[in-house]
Amino acid sequence: MAERTIKVEIKRQHDPDGNAVVEKFEIPYRPNMNVISVLMEIAARPVTVDGKETTPVTYESNCLEEICGSCSMLINGRARMACSALVDNLEQPLRLEPLSKFPVVRDLQVDRSVLFENLKRVQAWVPIDGSYDLGAGPRITPQVQEENYPLSNCISCCCCMEVCPQFNVATGFVGAATIAQVKLFNDHPTGKVLKEERLHAMMGDGGIQDCAYAQNCVVACPKELPLAQAISDVGRQVMLQAVKDIFTT
Amino acid sequence: MATATNPSSGSAHRGVQPLRAGQGHSFLLRKLHSLSGVIPIGAFLLEHFLSNTEALKGPAAYAAQVKFLNSLPWVPVLEWGFIFLPILYHACYGLYIWSSGKSNITYYPWAGNWMYMAQRWTGLIAFGYIAQHVYHLRFSGVRLADHPGASFAKVHHELANPWMLALYLVAIIATSWHFSYGLWLFAAKWGITTGDKARRRFGYVCTALAVALITLGIASALAFLNPKYKYGWTESPSAQTTQSQLQMPDVAASK
Ligand code: HEM
Ligand code: SF4
Ligand code: SF4
Ligand code: FES
Repeated sequence: MAERTIKVEIKRQHDPDGNAVVEKFEIPYRPNMNVISVLMEIAARPVTVDGKETTPVTYESNCLEEICGSCSMLINGRARMACSALVDNLEQPLRLEPLSKFPVVRDLQVDRSVLFENLKRVQAWVPIDGSYDLGAGPRITPQVQEENYPLSNCISCCCCMEVCPQFNVATGFVGAATIAQVKLFNDHPTGKVLKEERLHAMMGDGGIQDCAYAQNCVVACPKELPLAQAISDVGRQVMLQAVKDIFTT
Repeated sequence: MATATNPSSGSAHRGVQPLRAGQGHSFLLRKLHSLSGVIPIGAFLLEHFLSNTEALKGPAAYAAQVKFLNSLPWVPVLEWGFIFLPILYHACYGLYIWSSGKSNITYYPWAGNWMYMAQRWTGLIAFGYIAQHVYHLRFSGVRLADHPGASFAKVHHELANPWMLALYLVAIIATSWHFSYGLWLFAAKWGITTGDKARRRFGYVCTALAVALITLGIASALAFLNPKYKYGWTESPSAQTTQSQLQMPDVAASK
């Protein structure tokens, strides 16, 4: 009887400027595997279906529990986290590709630093650095905590940006994740001192106006952030700021 | 995290560039596009659909409505400032928005993504239709501002061609859809309906609006083909529009 196997096709690229090629693998079936364990299996014996020896596939992963955000890739064409993608639920052959809108470093590993640069440009933090002890911060009511906690769950995986029809080289759109963090820090009693600066940053080219509200980000986000609501809320804040600017600047 | 460029060098990014905080004018242009869809274009669209329902009452009532609209002050300013130029701006910037986005419905066949694509195609259909509509009925043939009595006949003549009728029906559906969903988008993006529930409820309102516009639009279009008014321009007009009787140029001959 033929042994049960898992068929995998992986888009590989040796370096950032290299040509992409697809390599096919077939590994013995085990129940309850996820895509990372498939990649580990291949790394243990990096031989293609044609018996050609190759190198282990490069990819990022760390936590294996959908919390570090590093393992996002295209699995059967869709952006998702490899560690929470269970092989038993997926169609075969498994097709693994790097995210398409981020520069490839090697194989399935991409450079997601645009998100971190965006977070810096909107100052997505609570400013507490100083030369003396600022003491305890103001209290946050449980109601506000409850509303904002889901936004703090963002793992910077960039799935929301990969699936967004507006996020590409032509628009240079900032993407949903950064907009959600603007809401999180604008609603924070200490973070809100930077609210105006964040909103002004959001009005720059590539800002919130480029969102066409297709809501792909909402469906794709593995942490189920309330992104549609965040985009609307920040949309309101930005409009109010714009009107205020007309009269006060 | 690994980076494809040296992270400390601060050199140009590969791939999608980061937010240009504080730079450019796309915010203003984009918000003007968004606003123009509702005011004045959307507002005019509602007026236009409602005015056209006068056709259901017959040629005389329709002529009276055309006459009334042309009696408004500064008609050329209204036409150019509130209708033609805003539509031109909305259409051109709309095409630019379309060209910079990239639909990905194949891999992500989700509701909002379909609507994203539909918003672009319905906009294009609306624009193509509006261009020929304005050319045929406003800028060629008999000038209805001077001859409101000929309005019904002119539109009747246009719709008597079954291809034209089909185009009108498609365009009515596309435009109603584009405006209704556009209104929903507007409310979501400007932060009017920020809550999930509010957006869902407003979705029902906009769906009802679309159905109402499509119904009114199709009913009005078909009214021009009502056999009762087949010879609409020979029918004795009611007392309210004596003028409509005075000017009855041969529409077919003037084309
Ligand atoms: C009857 C004429 C039209 C009306 C009443 C209308 C109305 C609207 C409204 C209310 C919106 C929503 C604004 C927003 O998304 O923020 C919109 C969006 C849009 N319109 Fe129009 N529009 C018309 C014609 C056109 C034309 C001719 C085009 C050109 C192709 C066009 C392209 C677009 C596009 C691409 C959007 C989406 C913008 C986005 O997703 O961010 N529209 N329109
Ligand atoms: S709502 Fe649509 S356009 Fe806006 S960020 Fe999300 S996926 Fe992109
Ligand atoms: S918002 Fe969601 S999809 Fe986007 S980066 Fe954060 S966790 Fe990932
Ligand atoms: S390995 Fe951390 S999210 Fe997948």
